[in-house]
Amino acid sequence: MKKRKYTYLCLTIPAAILIIWFIFIPLLNAANLSFFRWNGYSQNKKWINIENFTKAFSDKMFWRCLVNTLIYGFGSCALQNLCGLFAALFLNKKFMGRNAVRVVLYMPIMISAFIMGQIMYYFFQFDGGVFNEVLNLFGVSDVYWMKNGWTAVILITFVNSWQYMGLCMIIYLAGLQNIPAMYREAARLDGANKFYEFIHITLPLLIPAITTAVVTNLIGGFKMFDVIVSMTGGGPSKQSMSLSYYISTLYFTDERAGYASAIGVILFALIIVITLPVNAWLRKKEVEY
Amino acid sequence: MKDNEKLIMQIKPASRPKFWYYPVSLFLFILYILPIYILLNMSFRNITDISSRLFLPKEWDFSNYIAVFLGSDLWLGFKNSAIVVVETVIIQIVLGALAAYGLARSSGRISETLRKVNMGIMMIPGLALLVGTYSLMVRMNLDNSLFGLSLLSAAGGLPGTIFLYTNFVVAIPDSLDEAAAIDGAGVIRTFFKIIMPQLKAITVTQIIFAATGSWNNYLMPMYLLQKKSKFTIIQIIKAAFNQSNGNANLPLACATCALGLLPIIVLYLLLQKYIIQGQLDSSSK
Repeated sequence: MKKRKYTYLCLTIPAAILIIWFIFIPLLNAANLSFFRWNGYSQNKKWINIENFTKAFSDKMFWRCLVNTLIYGFGSCALQNLCGLFAALFLNKKFMGRNAVRVVLYMPIMISAFIMGQIMYYFFQFDGGVFNEVLNLFGVSDVYWMKNGWTAVILITFVNSWQYMGLCMIIYLAGLQNIPAMYREAARLDGANKFYEFIHITLPLLIPAITTAVVTNLIGGFKMFDVIVSMTGGGPSKQSMSLSYYISTLYFTDERAGYASAIGVILFALIIVITLPVNAWLRKKEVEY
Repeated sequence: MKDNEKLIMQIKPASRPKFWYYPVSLFLFILYILPIYILLNMSFRNITDISSRLFLPKEWDFSNYIAVFLGSDLWLGFKNSAIVVVETVIIQIVLGALAAYGLARSSGRISETLRKVNMGIMMIPGLALLVGTYSLMVRMNLDNSLFGLSLLSAAGGLPGTIFLYTNFVVAIPDSLDEAAAIDGAGVIRTFFKIIMPQLKAITVTQIIFAATGSWNNYLMPMYLLQKKSKFTIIQIIKAAFNQSNGNANLPLACATCALGLLPIIVLYLLLQKYIIQGQLDSSSK
């Protein structure tokens, strides 16, 4: 079979061509453009060395978007993992209607984040929004939900976490089903209470699932774009934009393609610098059983 | 071991459902169904009806649905999205499974490196590539082309597909390949006749993921497909909401949105068993 080794490697060529063509070349193209001043369409590009990168550090908007991106990433990762874990523990019990709840919790994942943001926009509207209407029912007066950037950022984080929580839930359900029942039964025999059993038996054995869930959600949160566009349009006054959103406005509205690619390079670096150590740290915690 | 389990069974009877399970279930159910309910509720109205969005309308108005149904936009969106989805799924699944088979069966430094590179690609944010991708697509005349969009989204989905398939191919014993080789089957033939049938379950899952991913894609269609004749369903829904800025015709936009979401929700409800099982299987690998 050894002779076939290179034949097997050749099977990757068609996929590799497509990836090189549509991911690697654009990546190199973007990395190259980040050293130029360019408006995105004209013939003349001016080499300005690393000015695009140094400019970012004194750009207030960049810092604001960076902080927002970190909130989107860590905030939705924490929320989704906590809620997903509790939902999984709950749905791991046997009761009637369990399947219906599971189906409904997973449903929003099937719907485009852009459309979901559009629908949620009508929940947070000041005038006649659904949440204000609920508050009115309890005699509370209208709340201006999108008062400033921070409330908008938090609400977007909540909506995103609400929508994709089901993914974490499924990852944890899969993890829970992989834990042999005898471990928990043994702990119970030794007289452990439910809390002790969860902390010392269930949680350590769930770490592979936690790694998957945390890493995918971190990356997903850092990349967030669609839901912001439809929920707030980056507002109020551009205060809820993520780095992804900033890149797209820089390129298409401000016509600063060089600077936009520099921010893109920074975003990619940010994702790698944060997710790789997190991944390595969690992997070290995994226990053998 | 077995005696132990028997002992445990005797000590601890299977736990009965507790009372609080049901209110919690109901709460979760309402929390997750509410947006769909509000959307439908808003769509069965007249433009002038600005009453509560929480309670059902006093007068039901079906004219929005009839207008959307008789109009051409919705069908245009469905048609374009369907074309993109079919093309993306075929390219992504066939190339992805083939590459994964190659990677799983060839050990050594090259294949190890390729796997690591593949993992790295999965971390690249789409927006970081925006400038590079868009200027490249324009230069190749692939903007305003549905096939160009399909190639792009298949390329974007390939790393994830390869990653998952590799984990599943590794679990298929080598002896199957060897037996096929002794019978004189080439690599490609072995792949399609022996390996693919073993991967049925994961392939169904992957088709569903690739299809929903490309159906729901918003970013790239928004920039690449500027001509209205090329709009995907998401862009059609977006256009419907944009026209209704200032509540001009919000109910009509909601009806467009509800009908636009219908295929994916119906498919989900029909296939939910396989989708959730597939998600369970792929997350435990």
